[in-house]
Amino acid sequence: MDVVREIQNPDQGWMQRYEVVQELGDCFASVGEYENARRCYEKAAWLEPDEAGPYVGTGVIELQQGRVEDAEVAFRVALRLDAGSSRAHAGLAMIAQQTGRHREAFEAYLKSLELDSNNLTALLGLFQVSCQMGTFSQVIHYLKVYLQMHPGDCSVMFCLAALYAREGQDGPAVEILRDILSLEPEHTDARNLLEEMEHKAAHVNQE
Amino acid sequence: MSAEQRKRKGPLVSVLISTYNRPAYLAEALESIFAQTWPYFQVVLVRDGGKPVGEVVDRFEDERLIFIDRDKNRGLPYSFNEALEKARGEYICYLGDDDKFYPHHIERLLAAMESQDRCGVVYSDLYKAHCRVMPDGRRIVLAKNVEISRDFDRMVMLQFNHVLHVSVMHRKELLERAGGYNEDLNVLIDWDLNRKLCFYSDFLHVPEVTGEYYGPVGECDRISVQRRKDVHEYLRNVLTIRSTRPPKPWNCVKDLSILILSDGADEKPEQTLRDLWSHTFYPSQIYVALRKGQSAGRRFSTPNVTEVPVDSKEPARQVDQMLAVCEGDYAALIPAGLPVDQDEMAWLERSLFPLLNTSEPNLAFELADASDLHWGGVFRKGELLAARRKRPDCSVRRSVELAGIRMRKPRFEEYPFQFDHLLAGAEQVQLAGDWPRAAEIYEYMENHYGNELWMRLRRAYCLYRSGRYAAALEAIEPVNRIRPTVSSLQIAGRILAKMKDAGRAIGFYRQADAILEGHVKSVKRTHQRTKVMAAPAAGGRVSSQQESRLWM
Repeated sequence: MDVVREIQNPDQGWMQRYEVVQELGDCFASVGEYENARRCYEKAAWLEPDEAGPYVGTGVIELQQGRVEDAEVAFRVALRLDAGSSRAHAGLAMIAQQTGRHREAFEAYLKSLELDSNNLTALLGLFQVSCQMGTFSQVIHYLKVYLQMHPGDCSVMFCLAALYAREGQDGPAVEILRDILSLEPEHTDARNLLEEMEHKAAHVNQE
Repeated sequence: MSAEQRKRKGPLVSVLISTYNRPAYLAEALESIFAQTWPYFQVVLVRDGGKPVGEVVDRFEDERLIFIDRDKNRGLPYSFNEALEKARGEYICYLGDDDKFYPHHIERLLAAMESQDRCGVVYSDLYKAHCRVMPDGRRIVLAKNVEISRDFDRMVMLQFNHVLHVSVMHRKELLERAGGYNEDLNVLIDWDLNRKLCFYSDFLHVPEVTGEYYGPVGECDRISVQRRKDVHEYLRNVLTIRSTRPPKPWNCVKDLSILILSDGADEKPEQTLRDLWSHTFYPSQIYVALRKGQSAGRRFSTPNVTEVPVDSKEPARQVDQMLAVCEGDYAALIPAGLPVDQDEMAWLERSLFPLLNTSEPNLAFELADASDLHWGGVFRKGELLAARRKRPDCSVRRSVELAGIRMRKPRFEEYPFQFDHLLAGAEQVQLAGDWPRAAEIYEYMENHYGNELWMRLRRAYCLYRSGRYAAALEAIEPVNRIRPTVSSLQIAGRILAKMKDAGRAIGFYRQADAILEGHVKSVKRTHQRTKVMAAPAAGGRVSSQQESRLWM
């Protein structure tokens, strides 16, 4: 869901109808009702023609339906209206990633995170593309920034632990994995990775 | 209307509209009246000059419509007085020529009115419909906000308005007692009406949206808004309203006599009067002690001033002579030249308010700025009079002490407008980004100061902003059950979306969208007799006067 310009108090401002329709569209999109979502985004664009949100939403539903070219057009319109749209950059990054343009995807995800370090889609996209490219230093930075704002987000914590493990930084990796297990004792991936690392450490010690 | 007619049909309601240069919107306004679920009403429409509206009126062939067609523009108060003369209804309500009632407006207010005996004025909530006006005059609704939803508070009403004109229904006889609309005013006439009515009756708040008024985005074409830009004229209206003392007897407001003691310097009483004029608002009659020679040909520039010739420079003697002529239930003693806190808008009220809100006998409050040099306070007139009669030979302060009247300065928590102070504080906390703390303040206000739905909406929003989604959902649930608004539905939608429950969020967003599209559904209620407790004479807790308490 888009982070709308949330006002100081409810019952203030005059963007309400746009916000309601846009957010309704986002909900329809998240449950796969793409035609309803599209109608909402069209109405939102009619209400506020200068807003990028409806085009980002349209791009997302086009992408989810595999219409990559239409999605790219929508994201580019959104960027023309708002060059600072983190979600539009993330959308273009996803398209680049899907079409194998990893370097372009990497740059677009970075841009998206510069604009909004809270953008989880961009963060996880950057993590994936970093794994594909084998470059991790920047994604580690953004994962840490995100975790400062969302300290208990186990999915992001696990990504960071996995990257540390892959980089050979076993100490921080084990520490994060233990934190995850204290928050979510049933986190199987964290438990497996921790066991693997402890087994490895024991083996090294034996040698 | 005869008793027989009333028994057969129910009470008649007169709806008054004045129109000026808005024929296109007038048609919609009239349609909204003729779509009312309560059929027994009459409409008194006044064309207050401007563009002709005959064509619009002809579309409504209905004998319930009375049309006064006047070419000369004479202003809203004149038009309403003219309409009142034609009104036969037991109850009166109003509609702006560009506003709309929802179909249940009259029925809902009438039910609230007839369900109790205490309040002769009832009012509901309205949406402010923010609109973009297209070149052809069409209005595109961009938002519908309930900007004002405040339980009745007489002290606030005396200081400024918190009840929208279009949301009000009142007994006709109350306005007749108050003397009708003041034709010297050209802005804030709704406040003048409500302020005068509150001298005679409590108001009952029906926290339900029953209509909408229009608010264009950008430059506003409303006459009342344009007129507020003339600061001098605006202040003239404010001060005229604040100094209005409607005809007595007043059932609900205690009268205050302000006694200004003079030490002989000519300029001091004048300065004190100006300070009172700017820094107090409570209805009062001011008595100024003037020694022989001082009063000859004197004219004070502020209203409600009575000069009292006194024969002594002694404050005690002056007080005795003024007490002999003043009529108020309360008396404030103010030495001329007492310095007044220039940032304080309720200077005298800080000492008056705690006295109004206690039944404890033999108690009085010193002025917050009083000192040994400039001593004064607020008393029950009867107690002060008795103290002076008992010991006329003593100073006022000593005679009060000897009579056993305890005097002290008011504490901050006894000042008026506690709710407003807390509200401003909560908003500051929000601005600082401390949403959990703001939510706590709103919860405290909800529990101690009424305005439950409003405070609960604010609390839910703060909880949502602080990421406490389950608590936010729990807080907003009763609001959406009792009085759903676009905002409350949107908050519920946002919370559920954050909780990854898009399916339920869709339901709330759809309801919000339907309201914005103009599909209004009223909440069906079974009406029951409302127990309305007596409101304090001038403020204090007012939560008993909100109908929602019955439904919580």
